[in-house]
Amino acid sequence: MTVGGGAAGAPQAIDPKKLRIYGLAGSVIGIYLAWILNTATGTNIFSFVGALAALFGVVMGANAVRRVCAYGIGTGVPSIGMLSLGMGVVGALFGLNFAEQLGLGILGVIIALVYSLVFGYVVGTIANKVMGFNIPIMEEGLTDLSGAGTMAILGWAFAISGSLSYADIVSTVIDTGFLAIIFICGGLAILHPFNANLGPDEKQDRTLVNGVMVGGMSTIATGICALMTLGLAAGMVQIVVGFAVWYYFFVWYFRLAKRDASKVVGTGLLPPSAL
Amino acid sequence: MTFDTTTIVYMLEIIVGGLLVGIGVHFVPVGGAPAAMAQATGIGTGTVQLAAGSGLTGLLSAGLMMYAMTLNPNFATEGYSLWPILLTGACGAMIMMDSTMLTGSWIYAYAVGAPFASAKVNYDPITGFSQPPYVAPGTVGQGIPTVCFVSGTIGAAMGGLGGALIYFPLVLINGNPALSAIFAIGIFMVDAVLASWNIQGTIEGFHDPKFKKWPKAFKSCLVATVILALVAVLITPLGGV
Repeated sequence: MTVGGGAAGAPQAIDPKKLRIYGLAGSVIGIYLAWILNTATGTNIFSFVGALAALFGVVMGANAVRRVCAYGIGTGVPSIGMLSLGMGVVGALFGLNFAEQLGLGILGVIIALVYSLVFGYVVGTIANKVMGFNIPIMEEGLTDLSGAGTMAILGWAFAISGSLSYADIVSTVIDTGFLAIIFICGGLAILHPFNANLGPDEKQDRTLVNGVMVGGMSTIATGICALMTLGLAAGMVQIVVGFAVWYYFFVWYFRLAKRDASKVVGTGLLPPSAL
Repeated sequence: MTFDTTTIVYMLEIIVGGLLVGIGVHFVPVGGAPAAMAQATGIGTGTVQLAAGSGLTGLLSAGLMMYAMTLNPNFATEGYSLWPILLTGACGAMIMMDSTMLTGSWIYAYAVGAPFASAKVNYDPITGFSQPPYVAPGTVGQGIPTVCFVSGTIGAAMGGLGGALIYFPLVLINGNPALSAIFAIGIFMVDAVLASWNIQGTIEGFHDPKFKKWPKAFKSCLVATVILALVAVLITPLGGV
């Protein structure tokens, strides 16, 4: 319920197609940019760019969650976030491993993305055709979600390992168990925004800003992990960047929350004659 | 990698595991948010949380059994044996689910003060107790009646068995327990969420009319798990092992 001026000042909703292109291109380019910067300079200080790349995927995923869940799926929003990360973890591990087997090395990101998009589309089709959900955007939404989960996992995995090689990611992210942290923190960044903002006055910009905010907190968490795997400098840079992202988007979110909040007018207690 | 009979057996194990998870979800009395307020029968949380909980404890106990087998002095010649691993997984998941239901029941009985009753059947199929007089008006049952408890235990056993059945071939394929565990969780999540969408969030157990919808979940999980199993067997042990 917006009372007075809330809706009028709200910016135009961003088209999901545009968000999808930004999300996919941003996360893929971001991960490769991080890899190039790390390789070119011979350090691991730029690993935080991988975490920023994951944020693009998160925004795409949060938008897909709000589109699909607006129809009502009956099991609560967290289930779809966990599905997204479940599909993502399978896609990411398969892509990295398969690329290494083919000798393509860094192309793992692309293979993982393509596989997960196809798998997401299949799951969406199953949900509509076999389960009878009849949500018109289910295929689209789950394709986006699967891709978003994969890019979130790959981005944050790069932020912890500082490398795109399968062996490095296995030894620093999987064997240490940090993938579980990425799984839950990444899942939160994708599922929490709509879960927290849902309701009749849900606004796209507020939900997505909330997603980036939680993504910033997840980056702080992966930064703490990176302290162990990449050393003090790279880890601290990541924590500071995560904190900056969180703070900036928290202030923005607070502004949007105030914009959309309704005014509460105190009317006093009921008069004795009405009781 | 080589694609031979062993690979096909691994794939079949993963597919059967995924199907067990998908069907097992239908047995678990999931009440969701209404059950958390004692306004519906079942455990007061979502399907995914319960399925993930029982699956992960199943994985953990199966992994423990696999580790215990490596301590056998004759391990080099005898190798792993499948059945103890599967049964340990099932027992681990059953213990998790039963302790959840038991402590939940204490809260429903002694803190909320609600009588356990199912609104879906007139008589409890196991104890034969009459249910409708105890269902509070405006609710769809409260607490976890005997039939739901038994059904939940069966569901947890199937979930744990499925989890172990996914985890075991993965370890044999890629030789990395951590990788296998997280990959198994991925497969588990997909199947559990598909099944929970099929039951639309809440179910009481095998006596619930919604239970008859299980063939839909069977088909969906079959298609999804076949695709997942295909990529699971393609992962080879490279580095970091």
